[in-house]
Amino acid sequence: MPLLRPFLAVVLTLLAANPVAAQDRSRVVAVNYPLQYFAERLAGDEAEVIFPVPADVDPSFWRPSIADISTIQSADLILLNGAGFATWVDRVSLPRAKVVNSTAAIEDQFIRTESITHSHGDGDEHSHEGLASYTWLDPILAIAQAEAVAAAITARGIAPDDAVATRLDALRADLAELDRQATGAFDGMQDIAMIATHPRYQYLAQRYGLSISSLEWEAGAMPTEAEQADLVALAAQTGAQVLIWEAAPPAEAFAVAAELGLANIVFPTLAQGVDDQTYIQAIANALTAISEAKP
Amino acid sequence: MNALYLAFAYLRYHWGRSLVLTLVAALIMFVPIATQILLSTSERALVARGDATPLLLGSRGSQLDLTMAALYFSDERPDPVTMREVEAVWDSGLAVPIPVHSAFSSAGFRIVGTTLDYFDFRGLTVSDGRGLSILGDAVIGADVAQTLGKGVGDTLVSSPENLFDLDGVYPLEMPIVGVLAPTNSPDDQAIFVDIKTAWVIQGIGHGHEDVVTAAEVAAGTAALSNAAVVQYQRITDENIDSFHFHGSQDGFPTSAVIVVPNDARSGTILKGRYLDSENPAQLIEPAGVIQGLVDRIFRIKSLLDVVTLIIAVAALAAIGLAVFLSYRLRAREIATAVKLGARRGMVLRLLSAETITLLSLSALIAATGAAIVSRNSEAWVGWLLALGS
Repeated sequence: MPLLRPFLAVVLTLLAANPVAAQDRSRVVAVNYPLQYFAERLAGDEAEVIFPVPADVDPSFWRPSIADISTIQSADLILLNGAGFATWVDRVSLPRAKVVNSTAAIEDQFIRTESITHSHGDGDEHSHEGLASYTWLDPILAIAQAEAVAAAITARGIAPDDAVATRLDALRADLAELDRQATGAFDGMQDIAMIATHPRYQYLAQRYGLSISSLEWEAGAMPTEAEQADLVALAAQTGAQVLIWEAAPPAEAFAVAAELGLANIVFPTLAQGVDDQTYIQAIANALTAISEAKP
Repeated sequence: MNALYLAFAYLRYHWGRSLVLTLVAALIMFVPIATQILLSTSERALVARGDATPLLLGSRGSQLDLTMAALYFSDERPDPVTMREVEAVWDSGLAVPIPVHSAFSSAGFRIVGTTLDYFDFRGLTVSDGRGLSILGDAVIGADVAQTLGKGVGDTLVSSPENLFDLDGVYPLEMPIVGVLAPTNSPDDQAIFVDIKTAWVIQGIGHGHEDVVTAAEVAAGTAALSNAAVVQYQRITDENIDSFHFHGSQDGFPTSAVIVVPNDARSGTILKGRYLDSENPAQLIEPAGVIQGLVDRIFRIKSLLDVVTLIIAVAALAAIGLAVFLSYRLRAREIATAVKLGARRGMVLRLLSAETITLLSLSALIAATGAAIVSRNSEAWVGWLLALGS
């Protein structure tokens, strides 16, 4: 009995303190899954990390509702990807003091895509230079983004500096391991032409010297006959031996590619999370698949 | 008691003359007091706004113009600085920069393009509706709402920049999504939008098929876009995704940047970075500029005090003359009173009672006026300061 009383006191104190702790947790909003993953690993239990985009919506083209915007505005930290990802941020009012662009330090490594030329009303034609946005598919750039997230969390006092530093070391090691695995997986593939079902892999290709041409297929869908014809033409033009899918399509789609002599590889782009896999696991699994399917 | 009764009866009988004397005396007392109250309130309001704005970044030029444009949204148009300056302050980690883009107006009120940080910085709260959320939203100050009779759900159209704007930049229609609680500051007289909306007004950002034509407005139907008949552009659910900005945001303009340093040391370091006169940007302390303005006002006030004093002396002399003449006119009345047995002291008491009653009534009127001025001084001064140049 003498021991029971202090034990109960401790339990009651913890029970009473937990709701308060939950309320006091900082809130971090991320515009894509990789940033959500990095923030969760770096902030630990000290922050609630929110990725507000519904699972069936491409975060690049999401349009937030007024309620979503209100949630985002009230966060303690808003993590943007930069590199032109999630253009909705240009059309929404965000508190600049809370916004952090995770690729601000690596803008010199951005990949420019082809220009889009158009005109307004009677105005002259003008061009917009596009940017490849999926920076996190390059583990080295992902390290830079993770460092930016860690600095933002530390600067705002969301988690203790030493804890963030320790977690960043672990995350950096995991990403470095991914880089090592990718270097091995793509070893010898620099001369093999590849086709991607969507233009998402520019940074991955640049990092590992890959030659990837792109189609504009819908993720996870069975390609139409016209799309299949495009694939045939592109495969003939490039001599491609590998087809990279951003999401697993129906089995018939794999068969179509296989008939053309293409090795099928599913490499999730991870703007949205993949069921039951973390960012690290999903990329590691894709790299393993590449190693096994290497022509 | 009898003397007061007789004095009051006399004043009531000669009510016209008594009224004029009372009002003149009241004015002589009221004017210097009211001037003092308004000037003191102006000083407090001016200095408070300046004190509440630690540093101001803008294009090198008139510090007063920069301060008036950024703090009081006046008609002064300092040369803009680029958002690169804002990013430079962010990158320094020494302060929070808040851009203020006040180049445009609507219905006679300044459109202030800024970031949400401004509302936190000034402690502005929305009394009706919501805050800024999407491109095109406008939140208006309390005076704007009252003067224009507009509220949440209404719209405002930006005024064309100038008649010679041949770039085809159309005015922008903005939905009012919120009304701010009154603050008795220039913020009550402003229309707040996201700075990106200000850039759309400026033509830096635009959408496709986003114009509303005169024909459409007249007929209530859609019409073909044609620059010749276009009235204004409108951001809608259908076209908002087509809105985009040309070029790097770092090169986009802002009229000024409010800089809130983390601490005194950060402020000093930042100020040191803008000392070079070759730097096209300057970092100033608005409090110092405002203090200079206040000092100037108070030099004028000294002159005003002398003028008031001279007028007061003249008016008092006029009142004295009027009283003296009235006594001369009443010489036979006073002689009759003496013959009836009134002593000289009694006569003096009667005359004194009349004068004291007059002055007491005047003081009461002046005090009432001063109380009204005092109660409304902040609102009136806020309005006066926001009138612009």
